[in-house]
Amino acid sequence: MFEIVIGLEVHAQLNTKTKIFCSCPTSFNEHQNSNTCPTCLALPGALPVLNKEAVNKAMMFGHAVNATINEKSIFNRKNYFYPDNPKAYQISQFDVAIVEDGELMIDFEDGSSKRVGITRAHLEEDAGKNTHEANHSKVDLNRCGTPLLEIVSEPDMRSAEEAVLYLKKLHSIVRYLDISDANMQEGSFRCDVNISIRPEGQEEFGTRVEVKNMNSFKFINQAINYEVNRQIEAYEDGVYEQEVVQETRLFNTDTGETRSMRGKEESADYRYFPDPDLLPLIVTKADIEKAGNIPELPDEKKQRYIDELGIRAYDATVICADKAVANYFDEVLECGVSAKNAVNYLTNELNGLLNKEGLTIHESPIDAQKLGAIIKNLEDDTINGKGAKKLLEFLMGEQTEVDAAIEKLGLKQVSDDGAILAIIDEVLSNNEDKVEEYKGGKEKLFGFFVGQVMKASRGSANPAKVNELLREKLG
Amino acid sequence: MEIDIEKLEKLSNLKVQNKEEIAHQLQDILEYVENLGELDTDAIESTFSTLEGGTPVREDVPVHSGVAQDVLKQAPNAQDDYFIVPNIIE
Ligand SMILES: [Zn+2]
Repeated sequence: MFEIVIGLEVHAQLNTKTKIFCSCPTSFNEHQNSNTCPTCLALPGALPVLNKEAVNKAMMFGHAVNATINEKSIFNRKNYFYPDNPKAYQISQFDVAIVEDGELMIDFEDGSSKRVGITRAHLEEDAGKNTHEANHSKVDLNRCGTPLLEIVSEPDMRSAEEAVLYLKKLHSIVRYLDISDANMQEGSFRCDVNISIRPEGQEEFGTRVEVKNMNSFKFINQAINYEVNRQIEAYEDGVYEQEVVQETRLFNTDTGETRSMRGKEESADYRYFPDPDLLPLIVTKADIEKAGNIPELPDEKKQRYIDELGIRAYDATVICADKAVANYFDEVLECGVSAKNAVNYLTNELNGLLNKEGLTIHESPIDAQKLGAIIKNLEDDTINGKGAKKLLEFLMGEQTEVDAAIEKLGLKQVSDDGAILAIIDEVLSNNEDKVEEYKGGKEKLFGFFVGQVMKASRGSANPAKVNELLREKLG
Repeated sequence: MEIDIEKLEKLSNLKVQNKEEIAHQLQDILEYVENLGELDTDAIESTFSTLEGGTPVREDVPVHSGVAQDVLKQAPNAQDDYFIVPNIIE
């Protein structure tokens, strides 16, 4: 049997207004090369000046993962030639990172959790973007110099599942802190995965393979499983030494396979040295303490929901995983509805409808106020559960006020005794034979009567009232 | 220390004409600074700069430099406001 060992390097773009070493805006989707200046274009004589806010966001992250924040850290030059990087080096913290020795907890569905160590998180700059055409490449340097926080985990994960749980937790922390948009499609949260195997019981690690530039949880999961199988097969076939070498591989999203980039990175020799243009980054104890003023984190919020609202741990995890969902939930609660109904209508009913349409909570046609109003109408017996579901489905496709929609769909439930009794009388007189059977002891028929009354009222009768009045009538 | 001039050419993206002479000069420079290795620095914290203090920081306020058009005009090759470079084989 083999043990799988996984470590992750995540690059999170920090959502500062300007780049890390110049005042160019970091705005996304701008005209090519419009967000550039002498510094990020590497014109001779232009010097880097560090963005205070990037430092602050890195320190906030340090606090969130219980890490050490170094009062002194170092910017190095990492030298390489590539057209996305006009300086021919990337400025990155190599000798001493601003954040070291952190941790986070990952939560399993069965309620258990596991600690994953964070080796370090360091500041660096992003590169530009190349587009490759038939006989030349086009370079856009708008992204060049965008601040990145590279977060390096310990090799603590033992399965693809754990790796994805770690990434999701990290993603959620970064979003709660609001230090990064962490949009995987737009590439503001990307990940390199280090994977190795070793026979169970073996102390030393196997040969580590790095799969670069992953930007979806699904693909990361696939890539890990593929790579683990490849390495185990090589081991079992006795060709581990030849087939599994320390290298960078790329994941092909079409075939689900990883392939070697061998040769291209072979001469990687970055010759790191302290950047002579930048003195050490020095932060005071007061700076560090000030950056510790961070918003409520997903784990804290989850615990508060469990303790104060009595929500089940699993439901709380689901709601808190995404800050936008948690905010939505808070807004629904502010409408004065019960936590139980808010959880159910958000995580089951609305979520189901959104998934069907492939929409996120941001894109939901039903905002928190509307969902709150629907639940309110349910709780004060204006509509029943069936009506609430019909109402939700209707409002997914129609921008109408909740009250108007209830009116339009005729969902107002009849709670008036007289009206319900009239329907009951009609149903009972149409089913005299069944009434006889019921009175003769066939009590199961009670459900049949309830169903007939509900049907006759076209679903608008208050079911509790129908039950109560039927019992009185049938004796 | 052996000077691998081919590797240095690759790393620096420079072509060296008189390889032997350059290798010899580099060798001399390395020998000249080699005696620094004799110093016992075990008890001393690494020095990353000979200057005092930390790097200055600036506020996070965007400024449009407006140099892009001038720079693109000076570029060896530009099109549609992209810099054009020889094909990068992926
Ligand atoms: Zn710039």
